[in-house]
Amino acid sequence: MKLQVRLLEKWMEIPECTPETAARSQLRHTLDDIGLEVKSIEVSPEKGVVFTIETLANRGDHLYVMGVARELAARTLAQIKLPTLAAKLSDRKASIPVRRLTEKCPRYALLEMSLPAEMPLRNDVAAFVEEPGKHPAIVDILNYTQIEFGQPMHAFDADKIDGEIIIDISTKNEEIEALDGKTYKVPEGSILIRDRKKIVAVAGVIGCSNSMVTATTRKVYIEAAVFDPTTVRITARAMGIGTDASHAFERGVDPEGIHVALKRLVTLAEGSAGSIPGAESAHALGLTYLEANAPEKRKVNVALSHLRRELNMPRLEEVEIVARLKHLGYSVEATTVGKDREFSLAIPSWRLWDCRNREDIVEDVARSVSLNRMRTELPALDYEAPAKNPVETVFQRVRSAVLGNGFFEVITKGFYSAADVALLESLHRGVGAQHIALKNSLEQSNSHMKATNILHATKLLAANRKRGVRAPKVFEFCRIFTKPAELPSDEPKERDALDYNYERDVLCLASAGRWSDVEWRKGESLEEYARLFKGAIAAIVKSLGCEFSVGKSENKFLHPGMQASIKMGRSVVGFFGVVHPTIREACDLKEEAFYAEFDLRLVYKLMSKVEAPAVSDLPQISRDLTLKIDLKEQAGRVLRILHELHLESVAEASIIDDFRKQEESFRRVTYRVTFQRADRTLKHEEVDTAMATLLDALKTKHSIEMMM
Amino acid sequence: MSTELSQAHIAELTGRFQRQLGEIQRPEDVELLRRDLLGKEGTVKELFKKLRDVPADEKPAIAQLLNELKERVESELDAKDQSFKMKALQKQLDDQYLDLSLPEAGSGLGAVHPVTIVEERITEILRPFGFENVMGPEIETDYYCFDSLNIPKHHPARDMQDTFYTETGHVLRTHTTSVQARMLQHRALFENGKLPLKIASLGRVYRNETEDASHQSMFHQYELVWVAEGLSLSNLMGLITHILKELYGKRRKVRFVPKFYPYTEPSIGPQIDCSVCKGDGCGACGGAGWVTVGGAGMIHRNVLQEFKFDPEKVSGFAFGLGTSRLAGQLYNFPHLRSVYENDLRVLKEIV
Repeated sequence: MKLQVRLLEKWMEIPECTPETAARSQLRHTLDDIGLEVKSIEVSPEKGVVFTIETLANRGDHLYVMGVARELAARTLAQIKLPTLAAKLSDRKASIPVRRLTEKCPRYALLEMSLPAEMPLRNDVAAFVEEPGKHPAIVDILNYTQIEFGQPMHAFDADKIDGEIIIDISTKNEEIEALDGKTYKVPEGSILIRDRKKIVAVAGVIGCSNSMVTATTRKVYIEAAVFDPTTVRITARAMGIGTDASHAFERGVDPEGIHVALKRLVTLAEGSAGSIPGAESAHALGLTYLEANAPEKRKVNVALSHLRRELNMPRLEEVEIVARLKHLGYSVEATTVGKDREFSLAIPSWRLWDCRNREDIVEDVARSVSLNRMRTELPALDYEAPAKNPVETVFQRVRSAVLGNGFFEVITKGFYSAADVALLESLHRGVGAQHIALKNSLEQSNSHMKATNILHATKLLAANRKRGVRAPKVFEFCRIFTKPAELPSDEPKERDALDYNYERDVLCLASAGRWSDVEWRKGESLEEYARLFKGAIAAIVKSLGCEFSVGKSENKFLHPGMQASIKMGRSVVGFFGVVHPTIREACDLKEEAFYAEFDLRLVYKLMSKVEAPAVSDLPQISRDLTLKIDLKEQAGRVLRILHELHLESVAEASIIDDFRKQEESFRRVTYRVTFQRADRTLKHEEVDTAMATLLDALKTKHSIEMMM
Repeated sequence: MSTELSQAHIAELTGRFQRQLGEIQRPEDVELLRRDLLGKEGTVKELFKKLRDVPADEKPAIAQLLNELKERVESELDAKDQSFKMKALQKQLDDQYLDLSLPEAGSGLGAVHPVTIVEERITEILRPFGFENVMGPEIETDYYCFDSLNIPKHHPARDMQDTFYTETGHVLRTHTTSVQARMLQHRALFENGKLPLKIASLGRVYRNETEDASHQSMFHQYELVWVAEGLSLSNLMGLITHILKELYGKRRKVRFVPKFYPYTEPSIGPQIDCSVCKGDGCGACGGAGWVTVGGAGMIHRNVLQEFKFDPEKVSGFAFGLGTSRLAGQLYNFPHLRSVYENDLRVLKEIV
């Protein structure tokens, strides 16, 4: 809302504010403090200081000068000087009938006025309206009256109205040509103003050109009404129109303000015409007023002790509270109830839209007294250790492993574009249908919720490589979203902090370029890099108190020959590998990238306490064996087989070499198995027996042979 | 060497030792001389054996001289030995050089995101109060995001939050207040209305905006909710003041202005004095000298009633902070977009 300080000055004594001091003036400070936050300030010789105020969405009464004056007066306790109002409107009815066919218009007034041939605009009005003189004077006066009293009004050229005014609801497929010259479809269910033949206005939103007032208009019907806020809002949004009138109606206008506004209008209109000596004057000819029912008389009770307690102001005096509330327009009756005082407050008509209970009264008193006079106090503590959040718990556990391996946390968007979805669909048929589309995104890049983070991660690596980052390594705790084949119910269910209908928490890691950010050394080979990346994953799993291993994986977004599943103990919790070349190229990344994804729901279920292992100082015995492993077989499978044999005394097993002769169609992988017991020294014969068991299992059950 | 043992003989031996010591050029000669003099059959040892032949009246004096000689030889040979070692060490040090200006190796430590740093700081500040961190779903129903929070359809308050709608008939949560609704409902339905409820809901929220430097379609919020008997507006303001002073420093000024949020009443806007102009008014704060850092208020009675809590007996408050904006202020990011640019050149400096 634009608030001209000069106009406010006509209504009341205001705190200090000059063009030079406007930004830091007492007036600005006070406006901020009472909730009329000044967002910007303009100063000009014509208009003086103009504040743009951010008004509150529930306060229609803050949209006009009278409303602002009331709020200021409640703080400063200054008296408001009401402008001159016509003593009376008209004893006669308007010359055409008015029919109200909908409850969505609880009050409607139609004032008939004659206009003189010449009607200059008064200077005291011209100074405060936008583009004065652009419209006929009566229109400027209507607009000015709304600035003062908040009541939107509309003028029809009486000669263009056919016999009657009907307030009605629109049906399907009705159209208008509005005052702005454009044609609009009127949404069904809107409030319309019609005459006998045509629509003449969309109530509360915009008038029609067919009844527009012009310079030659000699008689007008002035409409002042109360329309249902929700209906006006739906109509205005559907038509894509936002006017001062619709803004005011949406927030609720004063149901008892119609007559005051019309009296002010008549005063100004008659005064304008009368400024030319001997000229004919504007006159109110008749008024028709329809009212669905008497305005509601709402009362709210609140105790003095309650106000003092809520505001933590035990010495706040009754007399101060009453004075401030009266300045806000409340009628106050105070009675003694026991040792307390009880206020019975009649809500002013302009606050019937938002003021309903004692919290509203607490708010009004706090606002008028100033929140900053209140004594703040920390709540009493009754500490109970809170439940732990699963994602945070996992993060705390893996933090050292992730950061220690040089990964930086990033935060990527929750969505991507239709082109991204198409790219993923090209690699994984059917995945497109699992994406959740957004119906109304303003940005093309935000059209779908992301079902995987691999695209964002790869794009991010590419962007950082282009920025010259040699070793981009990133991680993210994020959500991914998928649409189940059958939509689940939204009924409330027992809480599971990680169980949502459409989304999953995941931990992703991604990296490209070098592992170590040192330019002068040669970069790692793909094999070395893979082992370093895998080392980070192993560290994460170990920090979660679980044994790490890998298995087969068939993720469509990773290189088919360069990926593995991530296992915690015996359960798969994720996957990792080299990003699929199609994705990498689409993301404009020139080199291989690695990506890993952990499903946090599974991780959280499986994670366990890290325990110190039992160690032995007795001698170890190691045996190396070299096996023939197929070219596309995971060498780590042997370690899993060994693990599943549960051979007693095996302390450790690892791969110590992987070699392929060019002419051979298999790899020679060397394993080292180390035996040790905590209670006694092992004998070589025992180790030989264990190795024989292993070799037998490898050969007979898994067709893996030893190199001779 | 004479077999006589006399003072003169010892003096002569001492002089000889001094000459020989002075002539030593190599460290191994120190050990040779030590062996000649102090070894099992060395000169000094032999002299001690002859001491028994010295007349009784001369024996004490001769013995003393012999002991002095032995000690002198030992200490001067040690000193000579040490001087050779020092020279050798000095030479070694002079010869060796390691250029530590060459680049460091290793991948170095990573770091968490500034938004996470802020979340962790707030969590740390709140630890004594016992808030449970809850994340909640990001794809929400109208009910949890709006209707249950006293924001009916077509209310102007919905304009404050441009909403993404999904094809499944859901919304992307526009605020973490939806978690408040879920938790209140859960307490009512599954936990017999257990109070107090103390949660911190944090995470991503979405607004359907045209993106530019200061407007992002996804950002982060952190909201506190405390529902119990007897909580007041003054308690809320006390807690907010505590948090802001811990976050921004004890010297920063805090004030409150009235606001409107449909789910709280009264609603307030906490502000701190502008860090740029220190409250004098500048372009960064629109001349006000104050910067709004969040939204807060007493939970609206309609919200409590929606979840079967009696507003005559129970009250609650909520305080929401824009974590993204806080991260921007803390690390001087030029605008909101840069908080989410994931530029590792920047993130590497914020460790």
